[in-house]
Amino acid sequence: MNCQELIDLLLDYVGGELVVEKHRTVEIHLTGCPNCLTLVETYRHTIRFARALPKCERLPSAIEDRLRKLLAPHLEGKKDEG
Amino acid sequence: MIEPPPEKLTPELIYREYAPRIFAIARRMLGNDADAEDVMQEVLLLVIRKLDTFRGESQLGTWLHRVTVNAALALRQKRANRQKHEVGEVSDNMAGAAPMTPVNRWSVSPDEPVLAAEQHEIIENAIKTLPEPFRDVYVLADVEGLPNSEIADMLGLSLPAVKSRLHRARLRMRDALAPHFEGGMAS
Repeated sequence: MNCQELIDLLLDYVGGELVVEKHRTVEIHLTGCPNCLTLVETYRHTIRFARALPKCERLPSAIEDRLRKLLAPHLEGKKDEG
Repeated sequence: MIEPPPEKLTPELIYREYAPRIFAIARRMLGNDADAEDVMQEVLLLVIRKLDTFRGESQLGTWLHRVTVNAALALRQKRANRQKHEVGEVSDNMAGAAPMTPVNRWSVSPDEPVLAAEQHEIIENAIKTLPEPFRDVYVLADVEGLPNSEIADMLGLSLPAVKSRLHRARLRMRDALAPHFEGGMAS
């Protein structure tokens, strides 16, 4: 296996989706290729960073105000009270 | 501990619990607040009208992802019809996804990262630079955590196409983040 072949298998490798033999071939390559080892490591960091992003955040206040007005007829008994 | 009974689906609950989530997905896919607001309003009005047809929040959550993605794609298409838009040619072939160049280690904790505000911003900005077809798959897979099969279904792509786009998006994100994390955490 060469480095380019490893890159092509990276998604399945980190996702644990490679068949045993392929997985082993990748691991053997990684033991002798520090560059690919670092690539795998930083690829994993990239995935972890994305997962750590907040799934939602508070709406910007102007957007929230417009949304509340738009939905006002549907929001029963929930007039802004301050 | 006894789980509280599931809250009844009401417009107020939808507004409170789902508006920020819908807005976040749309903003990441579309790259700006104004378009994300349009999508959020459209989706919320739609879901409130159809509220009686849902049996519970789990069913609603899946449906909301789908309608949000559809509304975002439709809005993008509308914009693209009005103005010349760079979508980028996308090859859905995994082979040759990246040239071999030297890579450097990052100084990051092996634990689940808690992102500082500036790191958060670096990552959000990197997502915005992804070509749209890559960005869509990346946001749904790696940020939202949806399974590839579900993404394929939502976007009308084959499973290999989703995996190829995700892989290319991750490599681009890795390249974009590398200067900020090599040799020390971005601060």
